[in-house]
Amino acid sequence: MLDIKNLNVSVEDKLILKNLNLSLGKGQVHAIMGPNGSGKSTIAHTLAGKPNYDVNSGEVSFNGEDLLSKDPYERSLDGLFLAFQYPIELPGVTNASYLKQIVNAHRKSKNETPIDAGEFLKILKEKSKQLDIPMDMHSRFVNTGFSGGEKKKNEVLQMDLLDPSLIIMDETDSGLDVDALKSTAEAINKLRNSDRTFLIITHYLRLLEYIEPDFVHVFQNGSVIETGDKSLASKIDQEGYN
Amino acid sequence: MKSAENKSSLINFTDYLSAKYDADSINITHSVIDDEVHLKISVTNSKTPSRLTLVNKNTNNFKVIAEINVESQSSFELIDENNYEMDTSFKMDTYLGDGSVFELYRFNKFKAETRNSFLHTCSLSKNSTFKDYNFTTGSDHTKNQTKINLNDKNSNYIGSGVVISNSSKCENYLDIRHLSDSAKSDCSFKAVSRGKSNVSFNGKVFVDEKCFNTVSNQISKGLLMDKDSKVNLTPILEINNDDVICSHGAASGKADEEILFYLASRGIAKADAERLYIQGFLSEFISKIDDSEMQTKGRKYIIENC
Repeated sequence: MLDIKNLNVSVEDKLILKNLNLSLGKGQVHAIMGPNGSGKSTIAHTLAGKPNYDVNSGEVSFNGEDLLSKDPYERSLDGLFLAFQYPIELPGVTNASYLKQIVNAHRKSKNETPIDAGEFLKILKEKSKQLDIPMDMHSRFVNTGFSGGEKKKNEVLQMDLLDPSLIIMDETDSGLDVDALKSTAEAINKLRNSDRTFLIITHYLRLLEYIEPDFVHVFQNGSVIETGDKSLASKIDQEGYN
Repeated sequence: MKSAENKSSLINFTDYLSAKYDADSINITHSVIDDEVHLKISVTNSKTPSRLTLVNKNTNNFKVIAEINVESQSSFELIDENNYEMDTSFKMDTYLGDGSVFELYRFNKFKAETRNSFLHTCSLSKNSTFKDYNFTTGSDHTKNQTKINLNDKNSNYIGSGVVISNSSKCENYLDIRHLSDSAKSDCSFKAVSRGKSNVSFNGKVFVDEKCFNTVSNQISKGLLMDKDSKVNLTPILEINNDDVICSHGAASGKADEEILFYLASRGIAKADAERLYIQGFLSEFISKIDDSEMQTKGRKYIIENC
């Protein structure tokens, strides 16, 4: 469902991704592990279409379509979801209002009518309960003053509401304590199904102990240097990247 | 807060300007001189806020010159929730008696080709409060000038200004004068400048030498949405004694690209993401409006105009 071929990407004229090739099948969980500065997050941001990430050459096909020619919002509407390492704060807009707007943006793209307020509240209550999110969090401004765990849970809630086919998780484990990591991972595991693909970007083994990957890719200097199964993650944990 | 449930009246000042008001506690006299509407409004014996709502028919340019007297221990709300398609000019002089409360709500959308000015001088007595909320968008040239005289102990000014400027010049002047001890002022101003708009805010706070125990806060923020947009924020403090707590801050800048990307990554198209961003930016101070009905109007205004 996602094919990256010979991708070269620069940020501020510095070449970060170098001839990257990666293929993700439907329903698979792929993990990318690599040291600081190797360009892992650049993959996530490039796929999501972040401005100032210049694609010099290469192709990315998502469900058979050219991903790179689309605006960031179109990529989301096509089913790509990026879970941010540091979710952005949006003061002045309540979380409930924001969540309803993103749900309606996706409904509009499918020519569906905006969700009824009562129906949305019912869904929000149900999904918040599953994630152990208190409803009063939705009265607060988006991610503003949220703890690290609350921010990550809010990302998972958005995944759940938008029902994407490809979820890219950019160092979701960063800033989480052991309990928050476990509960976040459990929530993510509930979203796993045979139609949904995950690309998990992480430094460490610990997230992959909860979310078991089908493939592990070691990433260094802008390229994948080794691919294996989940045992590769344990090997890196023991031996390091060098 | 609800207005007093007194008998409601409608008064026509001209063919094109009228007002609805609580008849029992508000006394209005008016005259029209050379196309200027002269009003004298006095509010008495009204502990529950009396309300006067302006009604405009948009058939003529107009000038209003108003004198408002809110007597001791009385409360008064003046609401101007009109879309103006003509040139307008308001000049108001307000006097607040001891312990009185005056709330002014202006939710105005002006037609692009019009010129609009608003000049208000408000003098506050002991223990009186003036809550001043101004929402402006639209015209080619808007000028808002407010002068506050905190004349006596425990007089209190709370003001918020929201400006959404789409291709126009919008000048805003606020002059707060602390002329007695133990008075407070709290002002917040937010402006969104789009296209070739030029928005300015001059916020002056003067504290006289005898005015100990003064508290004054002022914050102004501007958001530039386009490369030709301008916002000029000028806070000025003139403090003549040491027993004061004063703060002021001014900041302007472009929309945060990280936030816009975050919204895009959730499926929100650029124009909608910018609207949501502006909504958030302008709504930050809305919670300062403690009247829930007016707070709702403020939120609605922002959503409809950004």
